[in-house]
Amino acid sequence: MFKRKNKRKLEKFDLVANALVIFFAVLSVFPLFWLITSSFKNSAAVVKMPPDWIPKTFNYVNYIDVFNNQPAFRWAMNSIIVSLVSTVALVIVSSLAAYAFSKLEFKGKNVIFIIFISSLMIPKEVMIVPLFRVVQDLGMVNSLNGMIWPNVATAFGVFLLKGFFDSIPDSLRESARMDGASELRTFVKIMLPIVKPGIGALFILFFVQVWNDYLWQLVIGQEENVKTLNVGIATLMQDLNPNFAYKMAGATVAAIPMLVIFVFFQRYFTSGITIGAEKG
Amino acid sequence: MKVNRYALKRNMTGYLFIAPQLLFFLVFLVYPIFEGIRLSLFKISYQGTTFVGFDNYTALFSNPVFVKSVINTVVFVVAIVALTVLFAIFVSSAIFDKNAKYVSFIRGSYYIPVMVSMVVMSMIWGFLLNPANGLIPYVMRELELPAVNFLGNKDLVLPVIIFVTFATNVGQAIILYIASMIGVPKELFEAAEIDGANRKDVIFKILIPLVKPTTLYIIIINIIAVLKIFVVIQLLTGGGPNNASTTLMYFLYNNAFKYNQLGIASAVGVIMFVIALLLAIPQLRTMLRKE
Repeated sequence: MFKRKNKRKLEKFDLVANALVIFFAVLSVFPLFWLITSSFKNSAAVVKMPPDWIPKTFNYVNYIDVFNNQPAFRWAMNSIIVSLVSTVALVIVSSLAAYAFSKLEFKGKNVIFIIFISSLMIPKEVMIVPLFRVVQDLGMVNSLNGMIWPNVATAFGVFLLKGFFDSIPDSLRESARMDGASELRTFVKIMLPIVKPGIGALFILFFVQVWNDYLWQLVIGQEENVKTLNVGIATLMQDLNPNFAYKMAGATVAAIPMLVIFVFFQRYFTSGITIGAEKG
Repeated sequence: MKVNRYALKRNMTGYLFIAPQLLFFLVFLVYPIFEGIRLSLFKISYQGTTFVGFDNYTALFSNPVFVKSVINTVVFVVAIVALTVLFAIFVSSAIFDKNAKYVSFIRGSYYIPVMVSMVVMSMIWGFLLNPANGLIPYVMRELELPAVNFLGNKDLVLPVIIFVTFATNVGQAIILYIASMIGVPKELFEAAEIDGANRKDVIFKILIPLVKPTTLYIIIINIIAVLKIFVVIQLLTGGGPNNASTTLMYFLYNNAFKYNQLGIASAVGVIMFVIALLLAIPQLRTMLRKE
């Protein structure tokens, strides 16, 4: 009798909690729904109250305007180049280093590794003034190079990949070495294929991180031809043009690639993000 | 002799493997840290660079905008981190033991705003909150609530920034908590249920204490993320009204790239660096102990 009552109460608590969770989940995606629907409205419909929840007309002229009035195609290309080159470079250098920290023996290994990992929690933005001067000395201000290479100075890749290398038995490396394979060959032919899931997670997470970065790209890319998509559409937002539909179309262009990546690679986010916590 | 040569070769292989990563690290991270500390002790202008000792630091603490930035940053950190942890625990504890498809759907819904850049999210919220034609002021008018300008009112601007930042970042904490809660052994819940514990007891007495390491991790990564809060300030409020919503990172940016006060900006950077390092120490210790 008592137990049954208890059971019913339990279910009610759970039910209410889940109803709230669903309600807030809908609210959570609402701003993006509002962004995309607004971008297809004309300048009058976008500010009409009460609003049309679903646009009455499918007006894609805002998108044409974004690409015609702004060098939005250039911005998008710049974002792709900056994100892709940063990510590929980080994957290469950090997989080499993670392998060394995991499987090779060398003097000072532990000290260097501790220094690497200590930097993990330091946001690079706090060093923006000296970093800007370094990039200036290298002649990379107002260039994509200036946006790309400082991104590779992160311990994130080493941190994420080392765990994957750690899980490979040492005997595998030893037998490959015994067969006469060089260290580099062992790394490329035997180790890299095994840590592919880790590299996949690193690739996706870091690509998104660089794509969504703003402050550093803003500081380095002031000239129109080197602006990235985020910096470009932020200037659109600060523009006095009162047509919100047009601004929302610009923002949608910046958001869509990330939404597509999320739909296709959701499991990489779940696995990649939790790796950091599990090791912590 | 032979052994030495072997050791040398072994060391060289290791160094060659870490060399590329180390090079980037030294040029773009380690050197800027030391250079930042050095610059913070100088007055830098077009005329030249003069050593001023700790003058930049003392100047900062008598600058009301800096003091306001510190206070606001602390308010943001405390409020956003607290909201994030509480809400993420609430969502995750409600769904972690449900059907996998449902979990994945809810998790995705909360994570989608995290995927989209803060620039885009700030633009959307700027539009939603726009006093003339935004949806939220319209809903408030329909509900016959008093008309307020969310971003132009110095008492409302902080809560609005807190809410927007929380809403666009909580998804990451939810992913972490769900993973951690799914990992808790089922037998613990079953044993508790046999003892007559209800769901509330299970959540508060078993689940929350067991995911404490995740909570600590979430707190630290979120403190550091909020410490550098910038985009939402620049795009939604510009630090206004009347510096009511300025933050450390926004103050640093303005001094460095608008007022050309590089010494002052470097000093702010050093202060933020020290704060981040101190906050990271407990997390680093657990991470390194596991190694």
